[in-house]
Amino acid sequence: MKIFRWKAIGPLLLFLAIIAILLWLFAEPVAEDTTEEVGTELLGTQVDIGKLDIHAGEAAVDLHLLEIADPFNVARNLVEAEEIRLKLNPLALAEKKLVVENLRLGGVKFGTTRKTPAKPVEGDGFAPQALRSVREWAQRFDVPILKLTPIDTVKQLVLNPTQLTTVKTAQALAGRADSAKKGLEQSFKQLNVEQTVDSARALATRLKATDPRKLGLEGTRKAVEDTRASLKQLDATKRQLDNLERQVKGGAGSLSAGLQNLDEARKKDYAFARGLLKLPTFSAPEIGEAFFGKVSIDRFQQALYYTELARRYMPPGLLPKQDPGPERLRAAGVNVRFPKEQAWPKFLVQLGQVDLEIGGDSPLRGAYEAVVQGLTSDPTLYGKPTIVRTSRTAEGSAIAGIDVSALIDHVNPQRVRDSASARLRGVDLPTLDVPGLPFRLNPGRGAARLDFALRNDQLSGRWSLSSNQVAWALDSAGRKLNTLEGLVWRVVSGLKDLSVDARVSGGLRAPKLAVSSNLDRAIADRLQAVIGEEVAKAEKMVRAKVDSVVAGRVEPVRKQIVAVQSQAESRLGSERKRVESVERELQAELKRLSGGLAPEIKLPKLGI
Amino acid sequence: MLALLKLIQSIIKTLHSEGTPGQVAAGMALGAALGLTPLMNVHNLLVFSLIVILNVSFGGGMLGWALFVPLGFILDPVFHAIGLQLLEAPSLRELWTSMYNTPLVPYTNFNNTVVLGSVVGWVVLAVPIFFAARWAVARYRATIGERVQQSKFYQAITASKAYNIYRLFRPE
Repeated sequence: MKIFRWKAIGPLLLFLAIIAILLWLFAEPVAEDTTEEVGTELLGTQVDIGKLDIHAGEAAVDLHLLEIADPFNVARNLVEAEEIRLKLNPLALAEKKLVVENLRLGGVKFGTTRKTPAKPVEGDGFAPQALRSVREWAQRFDVPILKLTPIDTVKQLVLNPTQLTTVKTAQALAGRADSAKKGLEQSFKQLNVEQTVDSARALATRLKATDPRKLGLEGTRKAVEDTRASLKQLDATKRQLDNLERQVKGGAGSLSAGLQNLDEARKKDYAFARGLLKLPTFSAPEIGEAFFGKVSIDRFQQALYYTELARRYMPPGLLPKQDPGPERLRAAGVNVRFPKEQAWPKFLVQLGQVDLEIGGDSPLRGAYEAVVQGLTSDPTLYGKPTIVRTSRTAEGSAIAGIDVSALIDHVNPQRVRDSASARLRGVDLPTLDVPGLPFRLNPGRGAARLDFALRNDQLSGRWSLSSNQVAWALDSAGRKLNTLEGLVWRVVSGLKDLSVDARVSGGLRAPKLAVSSNLDRAIADRLQAVIGEEVAKAEKMVRAKVDSVVAGRVEPVRKQIVAVQSQAESRLGSERKRVESVERELQAELKRLSGGLAPEIKLPKLGI
Repeated sequence: MLALLKLIQSIIKTLHSEGTPGQVAAGMALGAALGLTPLMNVHNLLVFSLIVILNVSFGGGMLGWALFVPLGFILDPVFHAIGLQLLEAPSLRELWTSMYNTPLVPYTNFNNTVVLGSVVGWVVLAVPIFFAARWAVARYRATIGERVQQSKFYQAITASKAYNIYRLFRPE
């Protein structure tokens, strides 16, 4: 029987040739779709490509009309590029690795309006998760809303005790004090000091009535042993009393801390009650946060999102890394990457260049070049941080310019640092709405700056905005400004200068935001002058009301805690005295007994 | 529809007279790779070429493919677990690293857990599949094969013109 079916070679070759032709015919559309899909999945926002051309002979790919939607605003593009050329490394491509030797983008525009809104990326991919998680992160900031309720609407404050934190805390503390008292009684009961002391005292009384010389050697030895046993028991009781004292001190400390919490809770209740009255705010930091807190957080949130993506797609270290497998009818599984020193990373852009030409009358006019170096999926393998920078390559206006730089350093797993800085001068700043007020701020042409750094989990960021061409617009359709809103409007509408400075700091889990602007003081001073006295009176009334509701519930708890502490200390002291008294009596008897023994009998040291 | 008809023809003819039970079983063992492992992978092009070139039953190959496709879907979680174990095994890391960084080898997708697990699964199952299939085909032919051959359904199927194309790959 033959092993090979030679006559099938021809049809097989034909079949393989058809596959090769199909691959050739459909490589570009398939690559285009795959790039769009992968780009969308990786960036968490819609990526569109107009056309993709493969130049196999040059190992190059041309992309036309690339659009990347803004994940935070589906109506606009983050970036749009007319032409992109990727010169690939053919040797790396043979290893199924994408090493871009040179990336050139032309006709780049930022923040353009999309013809159709982008589809939000859903699902459990990393990017949508990261987007959700940075949105949750943004919710951690307690940004105040500027309350400008007229003071004459403040009438009567009715407080429900069950809503007050102090009352709840006091109730919980009373329960703890009660359990501490019961626990202490239980411990004394288990210790059974009375029985130990009574038994020792009975022994001492019995020994006092005996004469060692009449007891004889055996009788004396027996009496000494009984005394030693009783002294040991007393010693054990003393140690137990010491332990109990330590426990009492610990419990007392905890209850004292609980009392301090009551003071903190009362401050919260003042704020809560103040909130019920909707008293107007005239604290400058609060006004700054109310005006510019949300817009500042939006900026930091975007920076954090891209940092999170960088950390996910550019992990440090040389250990095998897992990526989700390709989507198919069968299970996707997981693709495991095996980085190797002195081999190509899975993805690397060695050098990316973006040429920007801003012409016309814009103060930004001039030619710019943006450079990206070392953008890679395996930073440790590449050994150098990723660098992004822009620079002006031709003469332009001195008053305007764009400076962007970023450093993504994931080379060392122990020291992961990401930082970015963007300075824009002479640019048209976007219009801002003031939350809670019908005011719209158009900063006009000015300067903006964003600095953001994440070192391990510690972040620091600064966003600032300045302009001297500010225009204010009133969007009061459908409602009339009240007196305080009118007052604030008169203050802000007269201001032509704007200077905002927002800073974020702290750990990722507990970030802190501080915002200040030149508006804060102006508004705060004006509000203070007009309504300060009335607000102060209302706040005094609020504190008095809270105190009156809370006092009746806090004072008994305070007394209860003091009583528990003093009772415990007093009982411990008296029990210790009793033990020590009988111990002294027994020591005296032991001395007397041992004096009557024959000199050759050496008693062991008791070590008491 | 034509493809389905061809498949039914090939299966029925395979079970009757085309090749020895050993040739049919070898075809089925090879065809099982197409069903058990994710289809669009380089190793399957090689397996398909072997089914065509080697003097095994092509119909057996198609039958094996058809029979093992549902099993492949069912066993995907098992294949993933096997692949992950192998790819994460410290003793094999050097081998995988070397393969991963060797030209062309990564195009086999060996570093995908389901692909690796299913290929290993097929290699392990290929020999039992061969012996089980050889026994089953021999039993079929010895028992109900003759009666099926006389049925109108069989006559209709084998009379189809499409069947003639398929005959090109009959084992010799």
